[in-house]
Amino acid sequence: MQSDQHLRQTLREWKVEAPLPPRFQEQVWRRIELTEAQDRTPAWVRIWERMSAALARPSLAFSYITLLLAAGLLAGYWQVHATRAQADENMGARYVQLVDPFLSPHH
Amino acid sequence: MKRPIIVLFAGIALAALAYCGVYYSGTASCCRMPKGNAPELTWLKQEFHLDDVEFKRITEMHSAYLTGCAERCRRIDQKNEEVAHLLAASDHVTPEIEKALKESALLRADCQAKMLQHFYDVSRTMPPDQGRRYLAWVQQQTIPSDSHSQMHH
Repeated sequence: MQSDQHLRQTLREWKVEAPLPPRFQEQVWRRIELTEAQDRTPAWVRIWERMSAALARPSLAFSYITLLLAAGLLAGYWQVHATRAQADENMGARYVQLVDPFLSPHH
Repeated sequence: MKRPIIVLFAGIALAALAYCGVYYSGTASCCRMPKGNAPELTWLKQEFHLDDVEFKRITEMHSAYLTGCAERCRRIDQKNEEVAHLLAASDHVTPEIEKALKESALLRADCQAKMLQHFYDVSRTMPPDQGRRYLAWVQQQTIPSDSHSQMHH
């Protein structure tokens, strides 16, 4: 409580003596206008702006391409694994049908 | 402004290329197989790591087995027709029907025994560990089935 009063007292006595930067007010209004303009921009445009800004940086562009390349390779590998397993299962079933007369409809 | 677009689409194109490349190179052999000659045996060769000599021997055994199998199937069909004829001519189980049914069961049992013998012969032609694996797999596929009710001969 006492410290609050002390703080208020200090603030009342505090004088800013440093000069404002040049065209301070103009800068403030420009920022306000910019913020308002950004609020009116569609979300996808803002996302694209951020994305293109990120992709313009070589390190991020390289990471992005590497990540997508790895994703493509992994997805392909996974699909190959699933397709081969399915093909193996089908061929196994066909072999069994061929040799088991109680399953085969054609011999 | 152009560069981020190029990077964006290059990433997508590379991912698609990588996917297609891996997929087509990885599935080329298994997709070609069904179009080839005796794809089931080609599959057997790949699955149980058979060399050319083992494969040739198994192919011969397979061919001989199928020939015998067709003959046994013909005899079973003949017996089934005989049973059907006897059943149509009677309103109770006569000694002839009983005898024909027993003979039919014997033919089926013989057919199944020959099939199992073929599996043993094939497994012995394979390398020992692959033979054991083949035998376990093929018996699991054939023995538990309710085979008599599914017979199509």
